[in-house]
Amino acid sequence: MEQVIVNGLYLGAQYALIALGLTLIFALMNVLNFAHGQMYVIGGFLVYEIYGRMHWPFVVALFAAAATLAVIGGLLERFLFRTVIRRSLREESTMLLAAGVAYFLDAAILLLFGEKQHGVPKIVRGVFVSDNLIIPYDRVLVACLAILFIVAFVLMMQFTKPGRAMRAMAQDRVAAQLMGVPVEFYSLVGFALGAMLAGLVGGLLVTITGVNSGIGGPISIKAFTMVMIGGAGVVGGAILGGFILGMLESVGLSVLHSYGDITYLAIFVSLLIFLSIRPNGLMGKPWG
Amino acid sequence: MSFRALAAPVAAVIMSIAVTTAADAADKTLKVGFVGVTSGPAAAWGTSNVRSMQTLAAIWNEKGGVKIGDDTYKIDIVTFDDQKDPKRSIAGMEKMAQEGIHYVVGPNVDDGAAAVRPVAEKAGIIYFPYAFPKTLYVKPASNAVLGMVANYQSAPAIYKYLKDKRGVNSIAFVAANESDPLSQRDGGVATAKALGLKILAATDTYQNDTQDFTPVLTPIVKLKPDLLVLSGVAPANAPLLIRSARELGFKGLISTETAQDAKVLQEGAGDLANGFISVGGASTPAIRSNAMDEFIARYTKMFGEYNDESNTKVYALEYIVDTLKADPKAINDIAEFKKEMDVFSAPNPFVKSGTLHYVGMTSFGQKRQIAVPLVVQEFENGNFKTLFVADVD
Amino acid sequence: MRPTAQALFAAVFAFVLLVIVPWAIRVTHHDDFYYTLSSVALLAIASGGVWLTFYIGRINIGQGAYALIGGYASAIFVVKAGLSFWIAMPLAGVVCALVSVAIGLPILRLRGVYFAMVTLVLTEVARLSALALPITNGAMGITEIPPPGPLGLFGFNLLPSFASFANRNQAFYFLCVVMMMLCFAALYRLVNSRVGRLFAALRQNEDLASSMGLNVPALRVLAYAISSFLGGVGGAIFAAIAQSVYPSSFTVADSINFMLNCFLGGLGYVFGPMLGTLVLYFGWDLLFQAGQYQLLIYSGVMIILMLVLPNGLLSLRFSRKKGA
Repeated sequence: MEQVIVNGLYLGAQYALIALGLTLIFALMNVLNFAHGQMYVIGGFLVYEIYGRMHWPFVVALFAAAATLAVIGGLLERFLFRTVIRRSLREESTMLLAAGVAYFLDAAILLLFGEKQHGVPKIVRGVFVSDNLIIPYDRVLVACLAILFIVAFVLMMQFTKPGRAMRAMAQDRVAAQLMGVPVEFYSLVGFALGAMLAGLVGGLLVTITGVNSGIGGPISIKAFTMVMIGGAGVVGGAILGGFILGMLESVGLSVLHSYGDITYLAIFVSLLIFLSIRPNGLMGKPWG
Repeated sequence: MSFRALAAPVAAVIMSIAVTTAADAADKTLKVGFVGVTSGPAAAWGTSNVRSMQTLAAIWNEKGGVKIGDDTYKIDIVTFDDQKDPKRSIAGMEKMAQEGIHYVVGPNVDDGAAAVRPVAEKAGIIYFPYAFPKTLYVKPASNAVLGMVANYQSAPAIYKYLKDKRGVNSIAFVAANESDPLSQRDGGVATAKALGLKILAATDTYQNDTQDFTPVLTPIVKLKPDLLVLSGVAPANAPLLIRSARELGFKGLISTETAQDAKVLQEGAGDLANGFISVGGASTPAIRSNAMDEFIARYTKMFGEYNDESNTKVYALEYIVDTLKADPKAINDIAEFKKEMDVFSAPNPFVKSGTLHYVGMTSFGQKRQIAVPLVVQEFENGNFKTLFVADVD
Repeated sequence: MRPTAQALFAAVFAFVLLVIVPWAIRVTHHDDFYYTLSSVALLAIASGGVWLTFYIGRINIGQGAYALIGGYASAIFVVKAGLSFWIAMPLAGVVCALVSVAIGLPILRLRGVYFAMVTLVLTEVARLSALALPITNGAMGITEIPPPGPLGLFGFNLLPSFASFANRNQAFYFLCVVMMMLCFAALYRLVNSRVGRLFAALRQNEDLASSMGLNVPALRVLAYAISSFLGGVGGAIFAAIAQSVYPSSFTVADSINFMLNCFLGGLGYVFGPMLGTLVLYFGWDLLFQAGQYQLLIYSGVMIILMLVLPNGLLSLRFSRKKGA
């Protein structure tokens, strides 16, 4: 059982980090970023190229991945999303744009990095073994880094000026604008930050799970699920949702082991029932 | 044994014919189609098909084309990405029919192969799916030719070998919850039962987009099976599964009945993948011919890196063209092709010894499968090492 | 539009689809277009359903689930119960509508992205159920479904068996196109009826509509059931064309595409999903020649379209009338 709990916690830490970027962009701009998973994949491939093939230090690769994604995110917001939001009659239209961007990035990734699964050498070797618990050290490190990034992000949102401005925007964009918050600028910053988080977690996880050009879509959908459990547009919700999904998978797979084929069916159905009972997730804003 | 003696000279003769005809004007084009998946998570399957076909065609065309009957043809590969969506597969097959193509490689998965069947039968297309459902190949179906060794053919050989040579007594299965892997798992379970192996886990599944398999494998590893079978595992998932199982302390053997790529395993699991058993075509240096070496070199030059799955995927186009050579009338008449399939035999250019011929009498009651050497191989330090070679009939 | 203009428009549209298009296909010998256009028609029917849920203010990414249920339902009716396709098809739609009422009652309380995400999960649930349930034949799918038999009404033979057609795709084309026209005519009627205006009221403000005495939950479920019925019919005909249905016949990707079709055509226009489906599907097909760059160009064009026409393709024509 210890193993199951640790699996769940580890999975939860990485899921929470994946969900953060998605929820940030949604909170600030009401954009459901379908391309989130593709950004994750780009981050993964950049680390693969820089750390795995050019053999530069891992930290450099991770930093480069984060920076590149921040730039991509900023450009996307400035030249695509801002325009469409301004021109469109219904704000859901950004979903089509986001899906288009997701397809575009998918195609670009496939052309640039090929169709194969890729992995990088382990960052730390060795496995921790005790009676009931086996956990490789690199997973410990990745989980710690993930939690570190999450804490840093939360502190930033809580105590810095941009963080406060973005929280204000998430609560009420118009009011924030009237209070003198430069909303356009912070939309750009927020989008860049969200994309950066996606790249960061992609770069981090490539050391454990590797990366291939096709996983972008599934990652996005997984991130949606977490955000939905926790509540859309709330930072705390994303973190909670990530940990809950991690636990759900880990514990669910163990407990339902004897039911075999229907494990995932059961997980998804319980998700449906949960959301029917709590329509806004655990901590979501009622307007969704 | 006479084949072994004959193969080299015959191959040489064919080569020289090909070279001499290069001088002739190759003004005709033979279009061969591909309908399968070259994007998304399963992109690697179709991509290795397409690239094998394009590489082989490039090699032939450079030599002036292939001589079929009295004419010399350039080979033109027409590809269609069905995105692993059976609805698109139908559209792809329609497109092939529209282009006047009679020979198509693909689709890569069960549902696509079943969906294109009405089109292929109506339009007179012989297609070479990489899907295992027997209904595709037994009568009244007659247009599909299985392009590889089915798992219900390879599993008995592998399990028996492991039982006899490695003392495997208990077995556990894990599969993605999708049609192809689940069907393969069910086939594997039946095989294991027939061999008297103790089945410890037969219903564990995972979502195909899983990135971290530790939670999936934790309960299975606890059961300590001698052999863990990754049924129908996608090449991208194999190293992740192996790594998770080993890191959880799994000590038994791990095997699969599908083709894998050595580099992917090496990058994704490193040393942990040592001892992993899978199935390949003409892969290992021990059995492959110079022509195969040339193919691999050309492939690497054209596309940057080789994919070991192409060891099997290279065969379909070779079979199509060689069968047409044996009966040139079949170019526009698939009835001739079907007739020829029953008697066709030609040297296998990709291995040092062996023939190309159609099989499937045992499994399907008619010759609707290409004979590919069933090479069972073990991963060791970045390369595959042949365990044994078997034939399918 | 005035009624006469409507009738004229409908007649021209039918004439183009039933006469001009087949003629053009015959002249150009592009027989593969029959299947492509049948696909477009069926996907448009399912997208039309999604559009209706948009009309009541819900983002529906779950139509793939109903298309799959419809496909399986009709396959089971035909193969296991021995019903005629012509009965199985509408029955499959009804099954979907019933299922959607049961699922819709709780989940339609959700709004915005929550509803969107729940429906997305629904698609996956449908696929996993198809894999797990015994009646669907699990991973093996249902294959070798016979083509539609003869269609008779009161003893008259309206249509011979599809198996007897020399060009089966052509027959399917006519079936799909006629179904599409019927479905969209019905949608158009519905949206311009009293119920349609009530639906529009739901989109504007459900609370307000409720305070005006409307039975909001019933209306929502009604719209969702009609939407799912359309999805089921589309899926049922697809199963007949492919003569097989698998758990992967309709997946999350399809659900997303149905939604995109609506966006692209324009959410404000009944015929938007039809145009959107045509453009998205054919766009992909036309880029067949682009080989490995197919997806790159396709998505690039999609992004540009979105930049230029964020309110859908049909907004081009209506923009002057609606001009803000």
